[in-house]
Amino acid sequence: MTAVIPAATVPRRAWKNTSLGRFFRNPRSVAGAGLLLLFVLLALLAPVLTPYNPNSLQFDAFMGFSAQHPLGTTALGQDIFSQFVYGARLTLLVGSAAGLIATFLSVTFGLAAAYFGGRVDEAINTLINVFLVLPGLPLIIVAAAFIRGGGVWPVILVIGLTGWAFGARVLRSQALALRERDFIAAATVAGEGPIRIIFVEMLPNMAGLIAANFFGAALYAVLSEAGLSFIGVGDVSLVTWGTMLYWAQAKGALLQGAWWWVALPGLSIALLGTSFALLNFAVDEISNPKLGGGRLKMPRRTVSAAGPAPVAGDALLAINDLNVGYVTPTGTVRAVRDVTLEVQPGELLGLAGESGCGKSTLAFAATRLLDPPGAVLGGSVRLAEHDLLALSPEELRQVRWKEFSIVFQASMSVLNPVLKIREQVYDAMQAHGVTDKAKLDARARELFDLVGIQTSYLDAYPHQLSGGMKQRVVIAIALALEPKLIVMDEPTTALDVVVQRQILQEINDVRRRLGISIIFITHDLSLLVEMSDRVAIMYAGEVVEQAPAHQLYAHPAHPYTQQLMNSFPPMTGPRTRRSGIPGKPPPLSAEIVGCPFFERCTKRMPGVCDVKPLQTFPVAEHQTAACFLYDPTVSPALKGNAIRESQINAGQSNAGQISAGQISAGQISAGEVSREPARNAKLN
Amino acid sequence: MSYLLRKLGIFVFTLWVAATLNFILPRLVPGDPVSVMLAKYQGRLDPSAVDALKIAYGLNDLGSPISQYFTYLGNLLRGDFGRSISLFPTPVIDVVLRALPYTLGLVGITTIISFVLGSGLGLYSGWRRGRAGADAVVPAALFLSSMPYFWFGLLLLYVLAFQLKWFPLSGALDPFPGDAYSAGWWSSLARHAVLPVLTILVTSVGGWLITMRNNVISVASEDYLAFARAKGLSEGRIVNRYVLRNALLPSFTAFGMSLGFVVGGSILTEIVFSYPGLGYYLYQSVTNLDYPLMQALFFFIALAVLLANLLVDLINVILDPRIREGRA
Ligand SMILES: Nc1ncnc2c1ncn2[C@@H]1O[C@H](COP(=O)(O)OP(=O)(O)O)[C@@H](O)[C@H]1O
Ligand code: SF4
Ligand SMILES: [Mg+2]
Repeated sequence: MTAVIPAATVPRRAWKNTSLGRFFRNPRSVAGAGLLLLFVLLALLAPVLTPYNPNSLQFDAFMGFSAQHPLGTTALGQDIFSQFVYGARLTLLVGSAAGLIATFLSVTFGLAAAYFGGRVDEAINTLINVFLVLPGLPLIIVAAAFIRGGGVWPVILVIGLTGWAFGARVLRSQALALRERDFIAAATVAGEGPIRIIFVEMLPNMAGLIAANFFGAALYAVLSEAGLSFIGVGDVSLVTWGTMLYWAQAKGALLQGAWWWVALPGLSIALLGTSFALLNFAVDEISNPKLGGGRLKMPRRTVSAAGPAPVAGDALLAINDLNVGYVTPTGTVRAVRDVTLEVQPGELLGLAGESGCGKSTLAFAATRLLDPPGAVLGGSVRLAEHDLLALSPEELRQVRWKEFSIVFQASMSVLNPVLKIREQVYDAMQAHGVTDKAKLDARARELFDLVGIQTSYLDAYPHQLSGGMKQRVVIAIALALEPKLIVMDEPTTALDVVVQRQILQEINDVRRRLGISIIFITHDLSLLVEMSDRVAIMYAGEVVEQAPAHQLYAHPAHPYTQQLMNSFPPMTGPRTRRSGIPGKPPPLSAEIVGCPFFERCTKRMPGVCDVKPLQTFPVAEHQTAACFLYDPTVSPALKGNAIRESQINAGQSNAGQISAGQISAGQISAGEVSREPARNAKLN
Repeated sequence: MSYLLRKLGIFVFTLWVAATLNFILPRLVPGDPVSVMLAKYQGRLDPSAVDALKIAYGLNDLGSPISQYFTYLGNLLRGDFGRSISLFPTPVIDVVLRALPYTLGLVGITTIISFVLGSGLGLYSGWRRGRAGADAVVPAALFLSSMPYFWFGLLLLYVLAFQLKWFPLSGALDPFPGDAYSAGWWSSLARHAVLPVLTILVTSVGGWLITMRNNVISVASEDYLAFARAKGLSEGRIVNRYVLRNALLPSFTAFGMSLGFVVGGSILTEIVFSYPGLGYYLYQSVTNLDYPLMQALFFFIALAVLLANLLVDLINVILDPRIREGRA
């Protein structure tokens, strides 16, 4: 609860604002909606468009095109154009009515299964499976064969009743996922009834999927009706595009050369189907973020003409003025802002900050792993002699893993579920020239020994391993080629404390032995102070303070760091619960004037902090802070009060505690086990 | 193992549902369709056949519906589907067995080709998403899969067979194709198959494409893919071992589930080309009110689709280690 930096609450955007907007910007949904509108108009305006009754047999058979009969007449002497426009009515009716029935059933069964779970779910799921594999059309044919005549409704009913299973399956799994979410659980605890939870809490969150499902069912219905009518099952005295095809075929339209009698209704069915399919596809794309996106134009990176700025000293990694953003339809989220950071050879640099402050984004951008919509907007990254952001894809591929590797935040899911662990350890080495089987095997065993897993697990699949073991496998893979730098993004947050301890200890041993540099990212500041040589604190996309770990611990300079330190549990004395820092960080999509921490800062200087462009100032040797308290040009009178306060605070938080030397540089000793419960609580 | 047992259970259960639907439907519908059928064939069937049918459909009030049902299930298990009415006195099972190889050959093989082709295109379209070519196939695929199968078949028939006379108009073989399995016989079979194959291929390939594309796009945002790229693996390896292997699993499951729909469309294709498979006879039996034949055909079509699904489940076990462990 305490030293853990609380998660920034991300404002929830209203569904309508974004999804509807995207609907009208998506070319597929616009095309689909336009096409559908056209057919609806055709159906509505039928009496205006043609003077003839589509069923009247008053004309000669097989007349050609004329002004009176733009599409000629049928073998029975009906006007084909009238049949076409009136046929649109029933065809649309079948599509929408049967689509609605099927969707209603899908939603009912899908949600009921997910909500009630247990026996009900099992029964419904079996029913779904049965209806899924029963061949639909033959079933409809057989069913409809017994219901001859009787108008359009029997057909609609039969199609609706047989076409719901696919949608129910999709909705069920979506609803199951929803059920796990907090707000549903909260509503259940609050004693809301099933009806209310299903209709008020769950349905609105599935609107997109349900809409997509409706269009899919409508497509199925239109095609099924056409097929049924074509073979004369159902009521062929009705005028639909399907029955037009039936009569055209029965009266030998093609043999008579009246090909349009066949071509037009079929093409219209295909186009109506396409409009449903486009809408289905587009709505799916819009409501499923995984499928959408990726088609945005990437802004060009603005690299300074001089190339990467020369770095003083012999830093292994030099990040310079890096700016990274996520380009979204509602604006660019600038998640990393003007970050300049160095890592020395053999150094363990800790990177801490509230979740959502841009740590992962920084790690991904610096290793060029950022996926759209993320994009590097400016700056440079140099690793050893490589200008990382300028490498060609093949050069990058060769540098990766050999020079630097990365352990992801989501280590539980970074292993390919369908390949054996062995293959996934091997392929990292094979991609960089190690091809000898004996060598690969020897190295894989060595690595597994190193991180403490039995080598027999090389032949297991990822799902057979526990979380801690997967984490070790990933770390083993990261060490495989002994890279110069390993980036570790919250590598142990998902693990229990004992395992976490062991793994951190091993990481530390290995890096000292091999002289590897590590960037260690976490939102657990206390952990970081113990482990790191140097610590950088991030806030709202910026690095606000950098200092050697012991220095940061003893004399935090930035008010944000101080407030974080304040929420450290005391090492001795009663353990009191402390809340996190009140307030929340500014939205990263906005332009921030002055200091981003202004709103929450207890030492802010109105008129300075919220007005002047912020810079980074030296505080002590090797220590910098982005805070006007350390700006020599700001009048001491303004900040006097604030500074005194801060010293008092810092003094308090360190009073009577271990010396800085004791906790520096990752010495994890038995003496500190007493702090274990505190960390345990925040890891839950 | 329990996974396969469960699938086997669903297989048996679904087959039972299909059989039961077969039994209930003619009894459920108002207007006594069976009497209509018998009336139609009055005078053309010998009285003993009429009696047999009346018993089979419970028109003689011999026994309760329950006992009729069990008699029906018993007959089914013995493979006794009665005699066709339109082709009297041929046993229904003979008609089914004659038609079955054509449907398996045409629909089965074409569907597999279509799945492989569509999935390949979908892999390309999903992996290269954002490029003009890869995105343009989407609306094309949506259009193709929205075409009524039989309508596209009709157009092909009209242009390629009727107008251009490149291919035969109907059937599966020439009237006198020569000895079975001789070269001439095979070439006759192949020429007759071209248009139906083309029809099924063109109208079904789009669906597999879209399915695979969506799966590839989902997999592309998985963490294990970012990790594979971070490892510096070659693109070929990433596509083969990471994207394809994972995207294929849901595609494959979708394949099993869509099979019923595809078979439905293929039935219409058989009708258009008078291709003597199960679908063609199903159509014949519907127009001739030949209920025993119709019901047996439905049962066998369901059986074929269910068996194919079981096969898909088996292959899934091989492809997905998680299922092997009974975790999925
Ligand atoms: N795909 C995305 N689109 C838009 N914003 C994103 C995306 N991914 C992350 N962000 C935003 O970028 C910010 C930084 O995220 P992240 O780097 O994951 O933070 P951290 O790793 O520190 O928790 C967050 O505010 C988050 O909302
Ligand atoms: S610059 Fe001002 S507002 Fe920002 S942290 Fe420093 S004192 Fe607080
Ligand atoms: Mg993160």
